[in-house]
Amino acid sequence: MSASPAATRWAPWVLLAPFLLISAIFLVYPIGQSIALSVQQTFGPAHSRFVGAANYRNVVADPLFWQAVRNTLLYTAGSMFVQLPLSLGLALLLDRPGLRGRTVLRTIFFAPVLVGVVFVAMIFGVMFEKRTGLVNQALHSALGWDLDFPWLQRYVVPALIVASLWQYVGFNMVYFLGALQNVRRELIEAATIDGAGAWRRFVHVIVPQIRPVATFIVLLSIVGSFQIFELPYVLLNGTAGPDNRGLTIVMYLYQMGFDQGDLGYASAVGWLLATILIGFTLVQRRFGGELPRRARA
Amino acid sequence: MRESGPIKQRQSGASSASIGVWAIGALAVLSSLALAALPGESAPAVRMWTFARLHKQLYDPIIATWPERTRPDIALLSFPALERRMLQGFLAESATADLIEAERKVAARAFMGPLESVGYVDLTDRLKSEGLLEQINTASFSPWSSRGRIFGLPHDVHPVMLGYRADLVEAAGIDVSTIETWDDFVREMAPLMSEKGEDGKPKRYLLNLWPDREDFIEVLLLQAGGGYFDEAERVRIATPVNAHVISTIVSWCYGPGRIAADATDFTASGNQLKAEGYVVADFMPDWMCNVWKNEIPQLKGKVKLMPLPAWTKGGRRTSVWGGTMLGIARTAPNQDELWSVAKRLYLSPELARSLYTEGDIITPVRSFWNDPVFDQPDAYFAGQRKGRAYINLAPDVPTRTSSPYNLLAKLRVQTAVIALATYAESTGRSRPDQLEERAMMLLQAAEDQVRAQVDRNVFLSQPSPTNASKTGGGA
Repeated sequence: MSASPAATRWAPWVLLAPFLLISAIFLVYPIGQSIALSVQQTFGPAHSRFVGAANYRNVVADPLFWQAVRNTLLYTAGSMFVQLPLSLGLALLLDRPGLRGRTVLRTIFFAPVLVGVVFVAMIFGVMFEKRTGLVNQALHSALGWDLDFPWLQRYVVPALIVASLWQYVGFNMVYFLGALQNVRRELIEAATIDGAGAWRRFVHVIVPQIRPVATFIVLLSIVGSFQIFELPYVLLNGTAGPDNRGLTIVMYLYQMGFDQGDLGYASAVGWLLATILIGFTLVQRRFGGELPRRARA
Repeated sequence: MRESGPIKQRQSGASSASIGVWAIGALAVLSSLALAALPGESAPAVRMWTFARLHKQLYDPIIATWPERTRPDIALLSFPALERRMLQGFLAESATADLIEAERKVAARAFMGPLESVGYVDLTDRLKSEGLLEQINTASFSPWSSRGRIFGLPHDVHPVMLGYRADLVEAAGIDVSTIETWDDFVREMAPLMSEKGEDGKPKRYLLNLWPDREDFIEVLLLQAGGGYFDEAERVRIATPVNAHVISTIVSWCYGPGRIAADATDFTASGNQLKAEGYVVADFMPDWMCNVWKNEIPQLKGKVKLMPLPAWTKGGRRTSVWGGTMLGIARTAPNQDELWSVAKRLYLSPELARSLYTEGDIITPVRSFWNDPVFDQPDAYFAGQRKGRAYINLAPDVPTRTSSPYNLLAKLRVQTAVIALATYAESTGRSRPDQLEERAMMLLQAAEDQVRAQVDRNVFLSQPSPTNASKTGGGA
């Protein structure tokens, strides 16, 4: 027995209806509202004034926003150029044939990911304390380091990079390890027979094969780094730190939206952040080789 | 035949699924009906939110004997939860608690929009007609006054004194009664910094202070007559007084005149440093006495209090830090009854007494200041009659702004102080007179940033200076 033409025509829409409805309510409508909000100033639903592009103009003119961008970029660069190479290095180490205790080591490196960000922030907050903190105490014992070295006063972004390095290096390592384990062994063997050394094998055989995964990890890392909020927020007791040295873009958005109650302004910041992220994604995909060839012409 | 198996399975699966769906639907309907039929809990007559466990502990025994009709049901919320719920209720004009006890920073959030949209009931006329403006310490109204109107009943005064390690100071033969100004303090206490540690640095410093401590900066600015907003709630940061104070703060933290070190409050490491005597003196509002008693009990009998040294001879010997109010939500019904409940709770002599005995906080109600409880010696403070000492300073407590931008101003000034400290460190120019010009520039930048933010608010019209000064609003 075949279904009636009407049923066939409507069936996909009926099946899609829950998804479309939920998307419309929780995705499309809020996105539309946030665009509308970004050109208004509001005080609750009862009071709103259209201010045009003033919110965007004010964000761009605010030196604090650019400080937040600078801090976020520094943190992102730290994640990209410190964390990812270290993750790849650990993955290469664990991928060595005949390595004993691989599972145990993998678990150890991955374990910090299971710890909540808030907990990590609190632990590192105590570790980076002046005089009594573990970091200064250890460095003082080993190198005569200044006990008053102000990690959380002056070197907030490096402290954030170290804390997130501890937490996420194992997470990225697992992705790299998965990719490395899918590298075709016969190609490595062939390259070895052809006389390629370890470096040339890595650059010319391994890297091209793990490139899709690496591209994904880089993208994930950039997006995650740009959205950093909880770690500095808890580490710096809900502030942006002395001299706003721990201010990130999302913290700036939070401060303006929720501390200052300027939701329109915060929406404008959110859209600027989205624009930056879309830009990064396009650039990254362009150089990651995922855009159509004609786009390169 | 071989193909009919899976088809049959799918058909039977579909058929059993539809039975399951019907069963779940039936259960949902039945359970909803059952829940609807259950008798609901009767809503309390008066609902109240507070953020402080101690406050609830003090209120509960007082209200226990009240008739049920007026007895508030007090919910203890975390600080951020209270802030969010209050704001959501006020902004959306939806239900909140009838009475809301809010700390200064939280209460100020309600003053962000038009005056008619402030979520708290305007209490100005009630306070005036009942003579409460005269009965309560005037400065205590200022954080709850916006554009000339008062929106809260004050809970406290919070004068600030200087807590010092009496054991160390007296062992060094220093008589603190000879200290009148900050210059005296630095000079008289200097011998305490003569002992050096392994690293060649002093083993102890005279004052717990650092350029990133925005609360301490505000305490010192207010004491000196400075601040962030004028009486009309206009931004006034780049002033000679503020420049002098922040230059002095930096000179205390860097260079040859360094007397200050960082022992952060409310942290285990900070408490350890205080216990070790790494810092000799600390800023102590009345509520902080209770924090020390709980967090550093080993200092019992070793700490004493003295009025803050003045900035100039004959100047103010105290400042203010923190504050709480009780407000009535504008959306609450029976506001007259709520006003009676609020007064009965906040103006009760039992509360004034227990606030001090349990929380070391002095009441803002002047008529209770004669209570002998304030004259009792406190063993933690080496037998000092600290209640009386705080009360003696209460009338001199500076007024403060209620501006919702005060927090922003505090942070921008903190940034200026840190920048000034960096300048002092890099140039070696660390005397106040060498720093004041630079301080003024940095404060001007801070003022411009705060003003830009305030000017963006199209709802916050310029207040009337006359009204604001009438109620003591403004710093």
